[in-house]
Amino acid sequence: MNLIDALQILKQPAPRDAAVLRVFLACGFTPLHLQTFLAAQLRQQAPQQNVELKTGLFGDLAGNIERWDASTSDVLVAVIEWQDLDLRLGVRNSGMWRVESLPDVFQSVRLALARLERALKQASSSGRTVCISMPTLPLPPLFSEATYQAGNAELQLRNLVSSFAASISSVRSVRVVGSQSVDERSPASARFDIQSELLAGFPYQLPHASALAGLLAELIKTQCPKKGLITDLDDTLWAGILGEVGIEGVSWHLDQHTQFHGLYQRLLDSLASAGILIGAASKNDPALVAQAFERKDLIVSKESIFPIEAHWSQKSESVGRILKTWNIGPEAVVFIDDNVMELAEVQAAFPEVECLLFPGDDTQAIWNLLKRLRDIFGKSAISKEDSLRLQSIRAAGVLQESVNGHGRSLDDFLRGAGASIEFDFDKQSRDSRAFELINKTNQFNLNGRRLTESSWTAYLNDPTSFLMTVSYEDKYGPLGKIAVLLGKIQRDALHIDSWVMSCRAFSRRIEHQCLNQLLERFECEGILFNFAATPRNGPLQEFLAGLLGFAPTAGVCLSRRFFQEKCPPLFHRVKESVHA
Amino acid sequence: MLDLETRLMRCFSSVFAELSPEEIRAASAESLSAWDSLAAVTLIAVLQQEFEVQISLADYPKLKSFDAVERYLRSRNGAGQAKLHSTAAGREAQ
Repeated sequence: MNLIDALQILKQPAPRDAAVLRVFLACGFTPLHLQTFLAAQLRQQAPQQNVELKTGLFGDLAGNIERWDASTSDVLVAVIEWQDLDLRLGVRNSGMWRVESLPDVFQSVRLALARLERALKQASSSGRTVCISMPTLPLPPLFSEATYQAGNAELQLRNLVSSFAASISSVRSVRVVGSQSVDERSPASARFDIQSELLAGFPYQLPHASALAGLLAELIKTQCPKKGLITDLDDTLWAGILGEVGIEGVSWHLDQHTQFHGLYQRLLDSLASAGILIGAASKNDPALVAQAFERKDLIVSKESIFPIEAHWSQKSESVGRILKTWNIGPEAVVFIDDNVMELAEVQAAFPEVECLLFPGDDTQAIWNLLKRLRDIFGKSAISKEDSLRLQSIRAAGVLQESVNGHGRSLDDFLRGAGASIEFDFDKQSRDSRAFELINKTNQFNLNGRRLTESSWTAYLNDPTSFLMTVSYEDKYGPLGKIAVLLGKIQRDALHIDSWVMSCRAFSRRIEHQCLNQLLERFECEGILFNFAATPRNGPLQEFLAGLLGFAPTAGVCLSRRFFQEKCPPLFHRVKESVHA
Repeated sequence: MLDLETRLMRCFSSVFAELSPEEIRAASAESLSAWDSLAAVTLIAVLQQEFEVQISLADYPKLKSFDAVERYLRSRNGAGQAKLHSTAAGREAQ
């Protein structure tokens, strides 16, 4: 983005009543064009949103962070450069670069990093998102070695900064800009503008300021990774056509020059371990596919891929069945195939699926694909529920089979499932899983409302508000934390503002038990729902319509008496978490 | 093809968003309160990027009005140091 383009973007008025994203940019230099680029990138990312960007005092990065008032911003962005750690590492002062000064520089950097760490941890304790950029500019030529040689002193200095970054990145709500991405988007030799630094205290060349602002904007964006990946098999998961070369003929190994299929398998295995659903859709002989998945040298385990659709029907039919099994929408899924016609056929049937070409033997393109997949599915943290996801989807299959295949009623099945539900009303733990569920659930969602971290925190801080999180387990295994209700207690009625439940938890009457629990715990006579129909919340609408006897509308109310009349038998063991 | 004046107007209007085209043509650091040191630095950065020209510190004091900037860029173009012609297509490609 050019500076003039950024300024033009900021000239455009935001829509009236647009939501405002409040960002505080803390840096020790004059924020100047970085501020402009960051505001423009954020506006471009969400044109319906207004951006309010404030900055602090020149030359006082740590002080700016320490003085930051979390109630006035949604996001804190801290951009660290070497001179913020010791002025002698910059060019705007007359500090000495003598060899004997170096120990003192180290000591000063250590103290500065310790102060920054304290300030950033304090800032993150507010629950606000904190984004950090580590030094991107070159160190000045202060070391005794030639600049092409990394001496011990320089390496020690870099080590101090790396250790600081590693430590701060483990703090919840802290996100650190990836240095590899900075390197890819902004060549190191074209970052520092010494004239601008000396004249205006702004040390970045414009392309570098633009690149860094772009990365910060991406980091600020609330992450909503996709949930599932459907892969083709022949010439994608492995090299070769199974039906032609046989089970032992397909390969993914270095000695057969097909290692990039092995790398792809390695990435799929890694994604599966992080809770991403992996399925396969292949026009193939199912018996051959089953035998191929028995090969011991397969890198991605066969347990990680479910379901596998292998037959001769259209790929879009396979994708449709996999989506149904996973019970997720097409917008949350990526489909990968080496055949452009297959991609087009799936894309036509499911326009919201992201269809990506497995680029044959173009190894550089495959490498880029692997990085892209990591970006599409990237998560800041892996939760317990991530590791349970596939297991619970397999269990849901058992449930469906038990009910449909053996002529048993749902009541019979649920009675024998040994289900237990645990309700938790703790607002203090600032549960990241609850926040994640509210922001990614579509189908069983009261109104589709998404929350920023700050609106989430503000809601929980309201003394009239309550938060109920729901965990479920039965004899087929735990589902983990699968539902969240957010509401307020007003007079003798409960107002529910957000209610989401994972699609993995459908058909177990957990939603009925949730309402039952609320009515019992708060001893209220009715529940008011802040309901809104969305294009995706059909399951929630169906559930409410089933209880009410009519299609729900905004502000619809369910009385205790009416609920008790309509509620089907519930067989769960119910427990409420107790907190000290 | 966009001429120098059109591109210069765009540069000025991006920095001084409130000004009309007539006010931009008459703009100078003396007559315009918004033309402070911050605006001056931003304007020079925009000019450098738009015209692919490096403006040295010594030249900064010369660039105190729209007319002065236009004269300066024409002189740099004469010396082959600034790209005064750009096409819309070229801009999109960037």
